[in-house]
Amino acid sequence: MHKEAAIREPLILGHKTYHDITQDVCKPIEDKAPRMWYILFAIALIIGLYGVGSIMYLLGTGIGTWGLNKTIGWAWDITNFVWWVGIGHAGTLISAVLLLFRQKWRMAINRSAEAMTIFAVFMAGLFPLIHMGRLWLAYWVLPLPNQFGSLWVNFNSPLLWDVFAISTYLSVSVVFWYIGLIPDFATLRDRVKRPIPKRMYSILSFGWSGRAKQWNRFELVSLVLAGVATPLVFSVHSIVSFDFATSVIPGWHTTIFPPYFVAGAVFSGFAMVQTLMLVMRKAMRLEAYIHTRHVEYMNIVIMVTGSIVGTAYITELFISWYSGVEYEAYAFINRATGPYWWAYWAMMTCNVISPQLMWIRPLRRSMIFTFIISIVVNIGMWFERYVIIVTSIHRDYLPSSWSMHYPSHIDLGVYVGTIGLFFVFFLLFARFFPVLPIAELKTILKSSGESYKNAPDTHHGHDDHSETENNNNH
Amino acid sequence: MEFKITKKANLLTMFLIVFGIVFTGIGVIVETTFHHHGEHLGQRISGNLLIDSFFFFAIGLGALFFLALQYATETGWYASVKRIIEAVAGFLPVGVGLLIVALLTITIQQGAHIYVWMDPQTVAHDELIQGKSAYLNIPFFWIRTLVYLGTYLLFWRGFKTRSLLEDQVGGTDIHFKNYKKAALFLVFFAVFSSTSSWDWIMSIDVHWFSTLFGWYVFAGMWCSTMIVLVTLTLYLKKKGYLPNVNESHIHDLGKWTFATSFLWSYLWFSQFMLIWYANIPEETTYHLTRIKDFKFLYFGMFIINFAFPMLLLMSRDAKRHAGVLTFVGMVVLFGHWVDVYIMVMAGSMGGSAYIGFMEIGLMLLVLGIFIKVVLTNLSKAPLTVKNHPFLDESIHHEI
Amino acid sequence: MADKIIYAMYDDDDVLKDGAKKLVAKGIKVAEVFSPFPIHGIDPIIGVKNTRLGIMAFIYGLTGLMLATLGMRFFMITDWPMNIGGKPNESYLDNMLAFVPVTFEFTVLCAAHGMALTYFLRNKTLPGLPASNPDPRTTDDKFVMELRLSQNSQFTETELHDLLKSTGIVELDQRDVK
Repeated sequence: MHKEAAIREPLILGHKTYHDITQDVCKPIEDKAPRMWYILFAIALIIGLYGVGSIMYLLGTGIGTWGLNKTIGWAWDITNFVWWVGIGHAGTLISAVLLLFRQKWRMAINRSAEAMTIFAVFMAGLFPLIHMGRLWLAYWVLPLPNQFGSLWVNFNSPLLWDVFAISTYLSVSVVFWYIGLIPDFATLRDRVKRPIPKRMYSILSFGWSGRAKQWNRFELVSLVLAGVATPLVFSVHSIVSFDFATSVIPGWHTTIFPPYFVAGAVFSGFAMVQTLMLVMRKAMRLEAYIHTRHVEYMNIVIMVTGSIVGTAYITELFISWYSGVEYEAYAFINRATGPYWWAYWAMMTCNVISPQLMWIRPLRRSMIFTFIISIVVNIGMWFERYVIIVTSIHRDYLPSSWSMHYPSHIDLGVYVGTIGLFFVFFLLFARFFPVLPIAELKTILKSSGESYKNAPDTHHGHDDHSETENNNNH
Repeated sequence: MEFKITKKANLLTMFLIVFGIVFTGIGVIVETTFHHHGEHLGQRISGNLLIDSFFFFAIGLGALFFLALQYATETGWYASVKRIIEAVAGFLPVGVGLLIVALLTITIQQGAHIYVWMDPQTVAHDELIQGKSAYLNIPFFWIRTLVYLGTYLLFWRGFKTRSLLEDQVGGTDIHFKNYKKAALFLVFFAVFSSTSSWDWIMSIDVHWFSTLFGWYVFAGMWCSTMIVLVTLTLYLKKKGYLPNVNESHIHDLGKWTFATSFLWSYLWFSQFMLIWYANIPEETTYHLTRIKDFKFLYFGMFIINFAFPMLLLMSRDAKRHAGVLTFVGMVVLFGHWVDVYIMVMAGSMGGSAYIGFMEIGLMLLVLGIFIKVVLTNLSKAPLTVKNHPFLDESIHHEI
Repeated sequence: MADKIIYAMYDDDDVLKDGAKKLVAKGIKVAEVFSPFPIHGIDPIIGVKNTRLGIMAFIYGLTGLMLATLGMRFFMITDWPMNIGGKPNESYLDNMLAFVPVTFEFTVLCAAHGMALTYFLRNKTLPGLPASNPDPRTTDDKFVMELRLSQNSQFTETELHDLLKSTGIVELDQRDVK
């Protein structure tokens, strides 16, 4: 099936062959790492280690080192948790949902987006774990028999739902990602010459041979995993939203939270993908595979999800008035005009206004502009969580207990540290793993490759021949 | 290929309309003779008009939304069934007319105990409604209603004209114009689909509020639309039309039906569970009235709309099987009608509502009109589009 | 039993597919195809049946669903009923809404991992297993068709070679196996 309308832009630029694809993706792994990689890795590692240090100090000293205050029993850590989980939504969305929608452009980004997802969920998982205080007892969240404590874990609690949701999401994402990686590891295994990497990739590729039956299973497994991962993506952030929405706190309890959190997660996840992809395509010379069209597609997703988020903000705002519940109304007035007004308006500007600029075609096709917006969006989405969480609880029903949340330097250290760790993981991934799905890209070369698409006349011979064969079959 | 309405189809629509009128007539007689001398008559008729006009209008609107979605996402496979989507969207003018009749009927009865906020006497004694009166008042309500409906009709006309024009002139200009207009439509739709369901449906339970409500109504409407589209495609295919539509197209429409059912169930659960969990009296009242007066219908409707598609359409073969698809589709379509029925009746008639002659009659009547209009639309334009840039992709669609 | 395996190498998936079609039409049994990516439509030609892993996934999912339901019924209702937020806990149904998320997650968990494990086992792809593709280039840009002499006894070796050569191969290799 090599049918694609002429009106569609090619997804693989230049006159690539199957071998070129292998070559282009494997080259950066086989070559020596550029100096820039070491510099970036060192920076990320230092920041990451600072974070690890902060966590150590926190675990040794206690949660009192955080800036929590009176009614604000939950602020910085949960904000970061939700932020990272949200970022971790793009990968599986790209590889699962876009696979179901047969969006071929996903193939340029799904591998690294999924890697990003996995690392982001790692970072997210860290926050509830360290919030437990006694990290080594983290297994108590599992439903273990009673001698480990007096009770079973509470299955009525959204926090426990989170345990199940996040661990399912993480492990299924890893499996999904790895199943796609196996054929590409096999490609590397059959290419590299040096013995140690050859041995490594040989183990990693699980003895993949590319038999017809293996591919048959591979395609079905990808499809079924996509099928189960799609509702999973929706469920995970819905469950994260339940953490807040099941409560009775004005500003937290609202029914629109589940779908709105999902949209927000996809929004921030795609922004993070953009940030990483734009750097990666340059650094690893993958401009032929990740180009303007891909960036434009992602920007459209950002624009759409940003608009959904914006609609949800306005819906909440309107209903808080319409409901006639004065506490509800106050929660929103306080957000916009209270002491955290700057966070609220930062969120509004970054999340509602900035993606609307993507309506302008030259802007959404501009790499620099996209890069800036992708960072703006992630800042905005961080503020969104901060606004939702902190502004809703810093002034509760008793004015005597009204207070403010100021992050301590440990708060900052842990947060910045996770960003460092995230980049450590991502840089390692980019160095040793195939960052594009080699096998999958080859399947779209003939339908979406520039040389096949735009110049069918120059490609007489077998290609044309197969085209007519195909037509006869239908 | 031109579609011709068969005699059988004509007869069927005639039957539906005649039966609908007769049943409604019986319903009116029953109501006036046996139920407190018909003191609920106006309320019941208006409520039913609202249910049926909204339900079928929403299917037309859903088709327009689905069409715009295909344009905006530059989808390829749908080109072979595009005329079917357009024919269903073509119900909009009639749907709009019916909806306006329903809303007018309610307005002239000062809300008919459906929109109690239209009744000045009730408002005078209700502080909560007074608080909302800046939004919920008759002039503003009608301005909004007319803006929504006008916008929808305007976009519908544009899409229709351009689609027929594309058959003749071809080229890519129309495609890109549709792309832009569709994106614009989706913007309007994103806002209007929420606000209009607050206006037309949520304001029936005037004290109650839910931020998710608009998206919930939208998901139900989308699901109903997909069912109508897949059934209509199967019908035409069976009659020997649509040579370009193969199993893969049916499969895709089946997948949409499956996915939208799932979406609807997800939103139903989110709304219900959050309200149940937080247990705030202002919010739980909505579900409590439904459980009190409509327990069987309310949960039955959810189980049908969720479990039927979930279990029966999960496998690939089922999504390609005309019999399974039609059966599941018809049951779930009725399930979504019941959903709309409860949404309107629970908040207005409450315990005294029941599905009787009038409910069935008006439903059959509007269904007859709907089928008539859609089939007529189908016969007016060639069933296969020409010059659509993705037509070739669609013809060679294979999954 | 001594056998001979012929490996015919192609440099294009469509050429291989057309070649396979022709060979199969002549009554030749194609034993295997090695390719760097899934070739669309090759399976029915060479007689590879569709996998039934999907059914397995469904069964694993169902198992997860049941385990989660029974588990939570036991933990929360039978073994140690807890009053949480005043929610009734007399029966599973009373509290079912709160159990939906975990039930869903656990169903997905079992379906996905059960299927993935089965997939690895059925594919014989596990860490450390040796690869069996005949040429390292089949994971890059070459496509290899495998014919076994024993399965095509009605043809002689040379006949098979000639037939293969007429389908546009780029290389031909033959190995003896025990």
